[in-house]
Amino acid sequence: MDTIVAESTAPVSVSAIGIVRISGENALEIASRIFSTAELENFINAEPRRMYLGTVTASNLKDKAFCMYCKAPKSYTGEDIVEFHCHGGRVIIRSIIRACIELGARPALPGEFTKRAFINGKLTLDAAEGIADLISARSEAEALQAYRLMSGEIAKKIYENADRLNMALANLEAGLDYPEEILEDTKAAALDIINKVLEELKQVYDSSKKGSLVREGVTVAIAGLPNAGKSSLLNALLKDDRAIVTDIPGTTRDTLYETLEWEGVRINLVDTAGIRESDDPIEKIGVTRAKTAIEGADLVVILKDGSAPETEEERNLEKLYRGKKVIIAQSKSDREKHPRNADIKISSKTGHNIEGLIKLILDKTGAAELSGSAILTRERHIFAVKEAIDALSSAKENFDIAPPDCTAVDIRHACRALAAITGTDVSEDVYDKIFSEFCVGK
Amino acid sequence: MKAYDAIVVGGGHAGVEAAHALAAMGHNTLMISLTLEAIAFLACNPNIGGTGKGHLVKEVDALGGLMGILADKATIQARMLNLGNGPAVHSLRAQVDKALYHRLAKQALESTPNLTVLEGEVTEILCEGGEITGVKTALGETYLAKAVVLCTGVYLDSRIVIGEYSRDSGPSGFQASFRLSESLEKLGIPLMRFKTGTPPRLLASSIDYSKMAPQYGDKGIPTFSFMSDNFNRNDFLCYLTYTNKTTHDIILSNLHRAPIFNGFIEGVGPRYCPSIEAKVVRFKDKDRHQVFIEPEGTDTHEVYAQGLSTSLPYDIQDKMVASVAGLEDAKIMRYGYAIEYDCVDPTALYPTLAIKTVKGLFSAGQANGSSGYEEAAAQGIMAGINAALYLQGREGFVLRRDQAYIGVLIDDLVTKGVDEPYRMMTSRAEYRLQLRQDNADIRLTETGRSLGLVKEDRYKRYLEHKKEIERIEGLLSVSFSPASVKDLFEAKGETPPKSGISAKDFLKRTRLTADDLMAASPDFAGCDLRALKYVETELKYEGYLDKQRREIREEARLEELVIPDGFDYDKVEGLLSEAREKLKKIRPLTVGQASRIYGVTPADITVLIICLKKKSK
Repeated sequence: MDTIVAESTAPVSVSAIGIVRISGENALEIASRIFSTAELENFINAEPRRMYLGTVTASNLKDKAFCMYCKAPKSYTGEDIVEFHCHGGRVIIRSIIRACIELGARPALPGEFTKRAFINGKLTLDAAEGIADLISARSEAEALQAYRLMSGEIAKKIYENADRLNMALANLEAGLDYPEEILEDTKAAALDIINKVLEELKQVYDSSKKGSLVREGVTVAIAGLPNAGKSSLLNALLKDDRAIVTDIPGTTRDTLYETLEWEGVRINLVDTAGIRESDDPIEKIGVTRAKTAIEGADLVVILKDGSAPETEEERNLEKLYRGKKVIIAQSKSDREKHPRNADIKISSKTGHNIEGLIKLILDKTGAAELSGSAILTRERHIFAVKEAIDALSSAKENFDIAPPDCTAVDIRHACRALAAITGTDVSEDVYDKIFSEFCVGK
Repeated sequence: MKAYDAIVVGGGHAGVEAAHALAAMGHNTLMISLTLEAIAFLACNPNIGGTGKGHLVKEVDALGGLMGILADKATIQARMLNLGNGPAVHSLRAQVDKALYHRLAKQALESTPNLTVLEGEVTEILCEGGEITGVKTALGETYLAKAVVLCTGVYLDSRIVIGEYSRDSGPSGFQASFRLSESLEKLGIPLMRFKTGTPPRLLASSIDYSKMAPQYGDKGIPTFSFMSDNFNRNDFLCYLTYTNKTTHDIILSNLHRAPIFNGFIEGVGPRYCPSIEAKVVRFKDKDRHQVFIEPEGTDTHEVYAQGLSTSLPYDIQDKMVASVAGLEDAKIMRYGYAIEYDCVDPTALYPTLAIKTVKGLFSAGQANGSSGYEEAAAQGIMAGINAALYLQGREGFVLRRDQAYIGVLIDDLVTKGVDEPYRMMTSRAEYRLQLRQDNADIRLTETGRSLGLVKEDRYKRYLEHKKEIERIEGLLSVSFSPASVKDLFEAKGETPPKSGISAKDFLKRTRLTADDLMAASPDFAGCDLRALKYVETELKYEGYLDKQRREIREEARLEELVIPDGFDYDKVEGLLSEAREKLKKIRPLTVGQASRIYGVTPADITVLIICLKKKSK
């Protein structure tokens, strides 16, 4: 079976850890290309069912992660499986999935791991029952949403190119099925289309490469000592009074999620309760949740209160977030008394540099490039476009030496890949085109 | 009352193969045809084969059917289409002598043991408790049988239309069958109304061939049948001429008299077989259309004007024909006509071609909404085989889409249904590269043998062929020195090798062929060319073939998952409602077939698999 990849934890905005699972014959090979650990020269030699701590490198991101290999048939699906247990941030999870796709894995369909587990006799009856419901619920929702999830511009582009490509296939097939009646040079016409479509799809793919973040957005945790001004910053960012702001330490007792749209990019903001040891049970819960939220964030803004002197506790904060992307922001710039070495100075009260902070967040997470662009956001769509590009490249490369019936294999592959997005029945569409464009038949 | 094991209704191309297969598999079979003159009658074009269709004939032949042998014996001109393209689409097409073809088919049936041929009109299908018991004829006689195969072609309630004129009739003046449709409807079998057409036939001696381009047969090409050594003959000519602006003006100014445009014909016609009036209307910017003049036989001057299919009134046909270069004084012997007929909605069938609602009843050919002699023969042999297996209490026989064009044809019909007569095209086969004419025997002879259809002589010849292939494969390591092949490679436009080159790599080169290898090496000089060409093709397209084989392997797992008879889709939780309705209607035999039903999503398939596994525990 081909190798599939998906996040196997629930895709919510914020969670402490995320698990990406790869299943299929190339799972280990793909994993070894993006994961390295000090314990092994090459992860391809990994011992099954053992957790390795190491670094996962996906596009330009690096993250610490655990990685485990399960050898077929002793795995959930009964196939070779590799799991990455990494930070729960959307960016890193998406990047890992994208990297796997680049290396030849296919995004799993809803319930596909389970399906494989079932086919390979790995799942008990009870487990299967509930899963069937889940799959159908998800697919129903997906069917409704699939179209909406693409921006108008990108949808148009994909549809146009899918249609053109079917036309290229119709050209070749008409020539093959009606060799006596088609006198036009259908091969040349097909090649023209292939070149055009290939170029456009490459553009779509390259721009999509930069960001799988649009749909999920980036998640930013705002951290700092109690009373460093976290809630005020959140308020200022949102220009909203929804967060409780008070001078009494410890009043923000829960993590707070807010979402902000900035030039089309979604930013999930997490306010954290003041991180400090406390005996108050409610406050304790808040502290735990804050730590969790920070673990899963793509970036942490550490606030330092410039109106108060630096403390030992504040210095320790940075150690807490080692390994994460961090922006040090000095708050209360309007009342600065004890300047810190910060990336940016802001004031929630006057609004000083609030926009600057947002821009810095976008820059640091790599989301800046995304704003305003029409790109594909769904892995399934990105994969489909990549598949089409690969197939068309092969068609183009061999065009002169391969007979058209072989070239048609590649083009049909590409048509089908795009049809996974458009939902068109390729065969029917191609016949419609053959009979509407060419006068064939006795 | 006479009793048989099986009865085949109809003696067209489907009926011939069905009856022959049933009898060859040991069953006492009765074939009833409206008129024995119409046995294997080629009602339309005088040729067999062509793109996709040639493949079907090869496959019918490999299974032990008749069409390939008959076609070879009746051939008067043979051509291999698509020689300029890859081997997967090389397609044999032969002009045949229609009268000879009919006679040969009739003789073949007459000399088939276990087979009785009877002229008669079947008016009723007899059925008791949902099971077939026999048929009744117009004479009032009842014939008993446990299996019946419907091969009624275009004869059910058919009507012929020429302009304002219409008559209830079968093709070429043969009588139609007027009571059987009603009997089928009473059994709850859904029927559809389709339409097809045919061009005028002309008198050869009234044609000026000097204004047309002659077309010759191809020499040295393989026959349809694995068992034939030659074609009957290959010296007849076809001619190509064109319609022109005058022709088109005549048609366009008389559209109000064209039955397909004025509402006189309601049946759905095929897009790939448009009448000349449809072509002229739909492709207004084309200033000419091809017309091929093809001989109908060796002992007649009647010729077929391919490209001029029409149901326009006779006076318009006269003018239209006379406007074509070379046909100025041509005499029309028979006017073109359209024919409307009843056929079975093929989604009422299982992939075994058994009708789902009546046990023991099978249906094949144009009666299933297909078109073409070859499509009919392919279904005929499969329906015959499955009727025989049914009588023997054995499991049905279904060819997969990766095994044969026959599999593609039947799967398309029964899984997707049709809204126009279905024609085989090579582009319908997603695994086209695997399904070649040159490997039809390798793909299907063993199967035909195990079914009992492939007899000793064919099997022996097949084993020799396989042995020769193996011998050649053993020779592929033979190496050539760079000097010995330098000239040949350069002459063919290939880069000469720097070191020794094996025969295998030799054959993989795009511009070098099996013939070149035979000429270059004494080791290969004595090879059987057909076997060597097979090896060459497998090597040359290895990369593409492997790509397809991987896809086939993945699909195969779903094909192996059988859905039990009477499976209750209402009890499957989590199916989307559209999928549920479609599955209940089509009742696929395997999960693979289910996955090809339009409107059934991958998620539905997963849900279905889980439910099936649950049941099997």
